[in-house]
Amino acid sequence: MATATASKRKVRINGCVSAAQAAKYADVDVITAYPIRPYTATMMALAQMVANGELDAEYIVADSEHSQLSIAHGAASSGARTFTGSSGVGVQFAYELYSPISGSRMPVQMMIADRTLDPPGDFGSEHTDALSTRDMGWLMGWSCDAQEAFDNHLLAFRIGEDPRVLLPQMVCQDGFFVSHITSDVELPDTSQVKEFLPPYKHPYPLDPRHPVSHGPQIMPEQGPPLQLERARAMEGSVPVIDQAHDEFARIFGRRYDAWLEEFMTEGADVVFFMQGGHAVTARYAIRHMRARGAKVGLVRLKTIRPYPTDRVMESLSKFKAVGVIETNMGLGSVSSGGSLYAEACAALYESPERPLVLSFMAGMGGEAIVLKEFYWMTNKMLEAQKRGKIEKRTHWVGFEE
Amino acid sequence: MPAIEVDRQMLPMFQSPNQGARFYNPELPETEPFVPGHRTCAGCGPSIQYRMTSKASGDNTILIGPTGCMYVANSSYLCTPYNVPWAHTQIGSAGSFTAGVAAAYEAMIRKGKWKGAFPNIICEAGDGAAADIGLGPISGALYRNHDCLIICYDNEQYANTGIQASSRTPYGGMTTFSPPGPMVPEAKSLFPKDLARMMAAGHPHCYVATASVGYPIDLMNKVRRGLNHKGAAYLMIYTPCQKGFVYETPRSIDLGRLVVECGLYPIWEWDPARRAYDYTFRPQSMRPVSEYLKLQGRFGHLHAEHIANLQRFANEQWTMMGVELPEALLRATNAENLANMESAEAAAAVAQTV
Repeated sequence: MATATASKRKVRINGCVSAAQAAKYADVDVITAYPIRPYTATMMALAQMVANGELDAEYIVADSEHSQLSIAHGAASSGARTFTGSSGVGVQFAYELYSPISGSRMPVQMMIADRTLDPPGDFGSEHTDALSTRDMGWLMGWSCDAQEAFDNHLLAFRIGEDPRVLLPQMVCQDGFFVSHITSDVELPDTSQVKEFLPPYKHPYPLDPRHPVSHGPQIMPEQGPPLQLERARAMEGSVPVIDQAHDEFARIFGRRYDAWLEEFMTEGADVVFFMQGGHAVTARYAIRHMRARGAKVGLVRLKTIRPYPTDRVMESLSKFKAVGVIETNMGLGSVSSGGSLYAEACAALYESPERPLVLSFMAGMGGEAIVLKEFYWMTNKMLEAQKRGKIEKRTHWVGFEE
Repeated sequence: MPAIEVDRQMLPMFQSPNQGARFYNPELPETEPFVPGHRTCAGCGPSIQYRMTSKASGDNTILIGPTGCMYVANSSYLCTPYNVPWAHTQIGSAGSFTAGVAAAYEAMIRKGKWKGAFPNIICEAGDGAAADIGLGPISGALYRNHDCLIICYDNEQYANTGIQASSRTPYGGMTTFSPPGPMVPEAKSLFPKDLARMMAAGHPHCYVATASVGYPIDLMNKVRRGLNHKGAAYLMIYTPCQKGFVYETPRSIDLGRLVVECGLYPIWEWDPARRAYDYTFRPQSMRPVSEYLKLQGRFGHLHAEHIANLQRFANEQWTMMGVELPEALLRATNAENLANMESAEAAAAVAQTV
């Protein structure tokens, strides 16, 4: 049984299936599943591919998310390319494993379709699930549609498995808005993927012919070098990420900026700063407002780990006001809103031209951010620009005049 | 590309020069996958077991060590005593990490990414990892029938963290989480979880057995039977802990036999082919539980009634194995025929000073 070869074609699929397709094209060896909405559809698709013989992989129905990640850890440690995923509280149930996996430098790939935590625990998308793990040493970024999700999964395998990086990857997409909305996705020719993604080869797997020990206990003074090494791996991934995106553009013909997407920022006074699927609505709203004279644009954060600090500073410093759309909970945080605000402000701190920064709590509970709300937020930014100062740091959109 | 067939090893059994292959065999393999120089305590039962297990398994082996004393004491300061690949995993990940290793080798061999015979994949989980925090994932690994051997080295407590009660700590066992006091004179008031039987009952397609460091050849043969079994196997091994049981260091192996002779650790096998228990293992003699208890400080606080409770528990085990109880053991279930531990009064005072 082997992975069937496929040639380039266009299909209409949702974000979940798109992620599953990427795992299939990457010819993963071990898949670990545990059901939780909305990411489950990815694992359903993979189960069918394995059942059909389209993909030769061990498909393991784990007994929990903690086990999912532990199985993935064991499989990646043995030299297998490993794919897993989760949503919402499932992401958190596995929390213990995030640091051990990055600490042992195992490039496990995890697909996240965001879901609110409990409460409210509804099926809607909030980024808090994945963002709460953002400092655990995983490469992390959000896709805004099914095509980008497919591409980001392939990119993440190549970046994470690069011997200069060897870090796990969380490839995130908004639950429902991306995971369950179908759109056109171009699936590549298998030969293109072969050219782009070399086989996974960990330098020190658990192999009886070359015995190694993974993860022994250490003394406190042996800790700092290990931690520094992991930090360096994260920093060292920056040029690898750029290089991978160049190669991706050459082979697949789709060019992405790895770090930021700027949309209609030319001549803009105020911009939204956000990540994920709501950017699709934001683009539409911005086109509409631009046509009516508002100088508004969008800067979309594509990779949050490693955080493109200099790029964010360089980009956001060009504007008068920045509205951070959070879609995550940072209870009691710097802005008493979400967690993106603090990082954006920190990135801007050394800039000689700091814009005003507002934090918008929008899309909470997985609600759609509707056009009307984008217009309202734009007004808030324009008012702040006119006034020369912000009215307050955090606005709960939909709860204010 | 056609799938490549997975080549699995069959390890021969050790023969029986004496005592039904239990005590001694001069022709053990020379290989030492678990080498000396680690930091375990003198007389450490789990590490004696570790050496026997890895000797039986040989060099085509991968060891997995969830957190526990066999992780911490063996792998200190970035050094490890393993001549075969070994990986640490989280205390609750014994079954799941091991399943991942087994799944990886299934896929890699089948897809031609790794060439060679399927390795012996052995997980060494303590009783805290196996009976408490990692119970679900181990059950998952057994249920899914990954080709691996999961061992619970049962020292009946969380030893690495300074002796705390686990669900395997026997009734009457003193630990820092189950100290004796006027309200709880027996210290641990619950009887241990019957973990091995739970694994056999719930996963009847698996090879399941109990063993003790007191019977090394039996132990090593069970390791090999578990490895030869195609699919998941589970082995629970009695491994005394000098630090927690509080006994004279050279008596580890004696305790390993006494615990069986006193009926507190039934030795059996679950045969997945026949779907039946094999209770044919018999120790050389049967003894009252007090002979086992009196060697250990952790039982030093027990009163006659507690010892009688433990004898009743032991008698139930004998009965379960189909052994007829001699009169002396029946009499020992009556507290009137027993005495308090000589140290009981002193032990109570010690507990109060902690």
